[in-house]
Amino acid sequence: MSEDVLLRATDVVKSYASRRRSKGLRSLNTAVNGVSLEVKRGETLGIVGESGCGKSTLARCLVQLLPVTSGHVEFNGVELTTLSRRQLRPHRRQMQLVFQDPYASLNPRRTVGDIVADPMRINKIGSDAEINARVRELFRTVGLDPSALRRYPHEFSGGQRQRIGIARSLSLNPSLVVADEPVSALDVSVQAQVLNLMTDLQDEFKLTYLFIAHDLGVVRHVSDRVGVMYLGEIVELGEAELLYEKPLHPYTEALLSVVPELNDTDAPRRERIIISGDVPDPADRPTGCSFHPRCPAATEICASEKPAFVELRPGRFVACHHPRNVDSVAPSP
Amino acid sequence: MSLDDSSTNAVLSVRDLSVSFATRQGVVQAVDGLSFDVGAKEVLGIVGESGSGKSVAMYSILGLVRDANVSISGSVLFEGREILGLSDTEMQSVRGGEVGMIFQDPMTALTPVYTVGWQIVEQLRAHNDMTKKAAYERATELLAEVGIPNPKSRVSHYPHEFSGGMRQRVVIAMALSCNPKLLIADEPTTALDVTTQAQILDLMGRLQAAHGSSIVIITHDMGVIAEIAHRVVVMYAGRPAEIGPELDVVRSARHPYTWGLLGAVPRADVKTRRLVTIPGNAVSPLEVPTGCAFAPRCQYRMEICAERPPMRGAHGHLDACWLSDEQRLEIRSSATVRGES
Amino acid sequence: MLRFIAKRLASAVLVMFTISVLVFLIFFATPGVNPASRIAGRSASPAVLRQVAKEFGLNRPLPIRYALMMFHLFIKQDLTSYVNIGDKIIPQITAAAPITLSLIFGAVVIWLFVGISGGVIAAKNKGKFIDPLVMFFGIAAISIPVYWLGQMVLLVTQGGLHRSIFAWIPNGGYVSLTQSPWQWALHLLFPWLTLASLYAGIYARVLRGELINNMNEDYIRTARAKGLSERRILYRHALRCSLISIVSLFGLDVGVLVGGAALLTEVVFGLQGVGWLTYQGLQNLDLPLIMGCVMYGAFFVVLASAVVDVLYAYIDPRIRVVA
Repeated sequence: MSEDVLLRATDVVKSYASRRRSKGLRSLNTAVNGVSLEVKRGETLGIVGESGCGKSTLARCLVQLLPVTSGHVEFNGVELTTLSRRQLRPHRRQMQLVFQDPYASLNPRRTVGDIVADPMRINKIGSDAEINARVRELFRTVGLDPSALRRYPHEFSGGQRQRIGIARSLSLNPSLVVADEPVSALDVSVQAQVLNLMTDLQDEFKLTYLFIAHDLGVVRHVSDRVGVMYLGEIVELGEAELLYEKPLHPYTEALLSVVPELNDTDAPRRERIIISGDVPDPADRPTGCSFHPRCPAATEICASEKPAFVELRPGRFVACHHPRNVDSVAPSP
Repeated sequence: MSLDDSSTNAVLSVRDLSVSFATRQGVVQAVDGLSFDVGAKEVLGIVGESGSGKSVAMYSILGLVRDANVSISGSVLFEGREILGLSDTEMQSVRGGEVGMIFQDPMTALTPVYTVGWQIVEQLRAHNDMTKKAAYERATELLAEVGIPNPKSRVSHYPHEFSGGMRQRVVIAMALSCNPKLLIADEPTTALDVTTQAQILDLMGRLQAAHGSSIVIITHDMGVIAEIAHRVVVMYAGRPAEIGPELDVVRSARHPYTWGLLGAVPRADVKTRRLVTIPGNAVSPLEVPTGCAFAPRCQYRMEICAERPPMRGAHGHLDACWLSDEQRLEIRSSATVRGES
Repeated sequence: MLRFIAKRLASAVLVMFTISVLVFLIFFATPGVNPASRIAGRSASPAVLRQVAKEFGLNRPLPIRYALMMFHLFIKQDLTSYVNIGDKIIPQITAAAPITLSLIFGAVVIWLFVGISGGVIAAKNKGKFIDPLVMFFGIAAISIPVYWLGQMVLLVTQGGLHRSIFAWIPNGGYVSLTQSPWQWALHLLFPWLTLASLYAGIYARVLRGELINNMNEDYIRTARAKGLSERRILYRHALRCSLISIVSLFGLDVGVLVGGAALLTEVVFGLQGVGWLTYQGLQNLDLPLIMGCVMYGAFFVVLASAVVDVLYAYIDPRIRVVA
C-alpha cells in the first residue's frame, strides 16, 4: 500500500464560545478536541461515532468549510489553515463533499444538470459544450439517464438525488471525497445501491474517501481503516477488520456489542455491554479521559489523567489507560 | 401460530386489512390484504422500507388515519372484539387504555407546553377514575420504572429538558401507564443512537415481561427484529411478502424480497463483500402491478407471477411467492443470494 | 427570569430615549417652522418669543436644547399648545387617555371573542363550507378601511334609520364610565364594533392557520394515541400552543392602540381620545402637542412590547431556557 499521505490533520481543535446560563460565565463548547489523523491516498478512512461526537464538525474543518480554532491540516503536503480563500481555491477542487440529506443538499431551484455543472462553471473549466458533455458522462457514470438533465431535484427519489450529489462531487475530478453520512437517509435497498456505486467509483477514479457515518455496519463495509470518535476526540483508530474483531478501546467494544445483529448463524454473539447515562455536554467535559464517567473499566487514573493517543501497535492507535484485547493484537516486530 | 388456527388466543387478529387513499392522481393502495396474529406476550416485528405500508397499517387499525379520503376494509379483532368499524369515540377508550402506541421521533412526540407529569396524568385520568394526587404518584412511579433518574423532581419538568433517549422513555412510560395488553411501536429507536437504542430495546423487553403485554414493533432494521421479535412480517408495496418465526425468516427466508433485504444490509459483525442490490426502484404506490408486486424487480420471476401469489406455507412460516420449495433450494445453494459470489 | 426582565427593561429605556431624540428633532428639522414661535404659541409677542428662546435654550448647543425640552415636557410639565394658547399639553393628554382606554377595552373583548371563536370554528371545520365563509368575513373585515366603515355605521345609525331601528343609539359623544356605565357602553357600542372588526378578522385568520398547522404536529398524534377526545386535543393541546403566537400579536396591537393608533375611529365617532388629540395636533402642526402625543404613544408601544416578551417567556417554557 502506498505510504503517500493525502490528508494529514494534526491536533485539530474546533471550539465555540457560549454563555452558559447556569454557570453565569462564558464557557467553551469544544466540538473537536485535538484530532490527529492521516488519510492515505487511495484508501477509505471511516469515521464512526454517535450523534454529537463531532464527526461532521471534523469533516467540515478538514475541508476548510469551518475555520479551525487551532491545529494543522495538510493536503498534498500543503498547509491549508493559513491560506486565504483565493489561495485555497485550487486545493478546494481536489476535496469534495457529499452530504447526508439528499432532500436539502440540492438547490431546489436549479435543474440537476446545472447543479452538476456548477462546480465546473465556477472554476471556469472547459467550454460550455465540454461542460455539457462531461455532465452527461457523469450522469451515466452514476447510473442516471442523461436525458434527465433538465429536471428538478424534487422529481427524483432520495437515492437518485444522492447519486446526483455524488455526480456533482466528481465533476472536478477530486482526489479526496469527504462523505458525511451519505446513506443514512436512504432505505436499505437504496443504501446498498449507493454504497456499491461509491465503491465502483473509487476503483474507477482512484478516489480517496473520508467516510463519516454512525452506522457501524456501513462503516465496516466501506472502510480500510476506521477511527472511532467520542465527544470530539478519536479514541481509537486502526485497520478496519482488526478494530471490529478485537477493539482496543472500551467505548469501541461497548458500541460493537450493542449493535443489533442478525442472528443468521449460531456464531456466539458478543457479550452485551450496556453503557449507562447520556453523552456529556461538550461544554462541560469530564476531567481526565472523556469517557471515564461511563466506562465500565475506569479507575482512578482515568479521572485525573487524560490518556495520550498512542500507536500501541503498528497502525493501531488508542487513547486509553486500560486498553482491551491487547494480547491479541499482532505483536510488534 | 398459523393463520388457520382459530385466533381465540391472539391479542390482535388482523384479516385482509386493506387501506387505500383516493387522490387526484388515482387510488393509492397503501395496504393490500394484510393478515397476521399477535399472541399474548409475543413480540411481532413488521419490517419493510418506506412505502411498504407498515406504518399506515397500524395507524389505520387504531383509527389514527385522519385523511377524509381513506377507505379501510378487513377485520381487526382485539381480544376477540372487532375494532375496525368502531366510532371515534369508542376507539378513544381503546387507544391509550387498551392499546398503547409510541412513535419514531421522541423530540416532537410530547406537547411542549405541559410538564411530562401533567401529560402522563392526563392519560391516566382519561381512562381511570383517579384523583390528581394519585395520578401524579403513579406517574412518578412510571418514570422510575422506565429508568429516569430523580423521578420525583423530573415529573414536573418540561419535555425540552430531557434528552432524546430520556424523552423516548417518557413516551414509553406514558404508553404503558394504563397497562395495555398491546403496545405498538413505530420505529421507536430509529432516531436514537446505537447505545441509546440498546438501552431502549432492553427496557422494552423488560417492561414487556413485567407487564405481560404484546408488542408490535415496526422497523426497517432487520437487526432490531433479530434483537427483540419472536415473529416477523415482511412487507412490500403494501402487501405481506413473508410471515414467520423470526429465526426461520432470517435463516431460511423464502421470498426473494426478503433475500434482497437481508443481503443488502452491511453488517458490523462480519465483513460483507459486495452488497446485494435489488434492481430498479421501489414501486410507486399508484402503479402496483395486479400480479405479484415484486415481480418487476425480481430476478426469479416466471410467467405465473403475472397472477398475484397467495400467502402459503407451513409451520407458521408463510410467503407470497410462486417459487416452489425445490426451486428455492436450487437458488439458495447457488450462493448468489447472499452476495457471497 | 429576573435577569431577562431586567435586560428587557433596560433595552426599553434605550428605545424610549432614541424616540425622544428623534421627536425632539422635529422642532428643528421641520421646514418653514420657527421653533420659538411653535413653542410660544401663535402670534406670540416678541417679548414672549425672547422668553421662550431663553427658557428653552434655543441659542445653545443641541444637547442642551434637548435636555431643556425634556425638562419642560416631563418635569415642569408646562409645555403649552401652539394653537390653544396657554393650554398645557400634559393635562390634555391625561384627560383624553381614559376615553381611548374605554374604546380599546370594549373592542379588545369583542375582537378576542369573535376572532378566537372564528379561528377555532374555521379550523375545526376545515374544508367544509363554514371554513371559507368565516375566512371571507375575516378578509372583508381586514380590507374595509376603518374610517369608511365608521362613516357607514354612522350613516346608518344616525341617518335615516335613527328614528326607527336605531333609535336607541345615542347621538354620539362620550359618557364617562363613572357617570353612567350603561350610557358609557351604549355610546361606545358601535365604535367598539368598528374598531374590533379589523382585528377580529386578523386574529381569526392567524389562529386558523396556526391551529391547522399545530393539528398536524407529532404531539397531537401522540395525544390521539392516548385516547383523548378530539375536543380536549383541540382546546388543551393545539389551541394552547397556537395561542402563543396570538399573545405576541395581541400585546403589540394593544400597545399601539393605547398609544393612540385608534385615531381614525376616534375622529369618525367624535371621541376625544388621544388619537383624536394627535389628529388635531397634526392638522394644526401644533408641535408641542404632537411631541406630547408621540412620546405618550411611544411609551406604551415600548412597554407593551416588553410585557409581551416577558409574557411569552412565561407561556412558552422553551423560551425560558434561551432567555
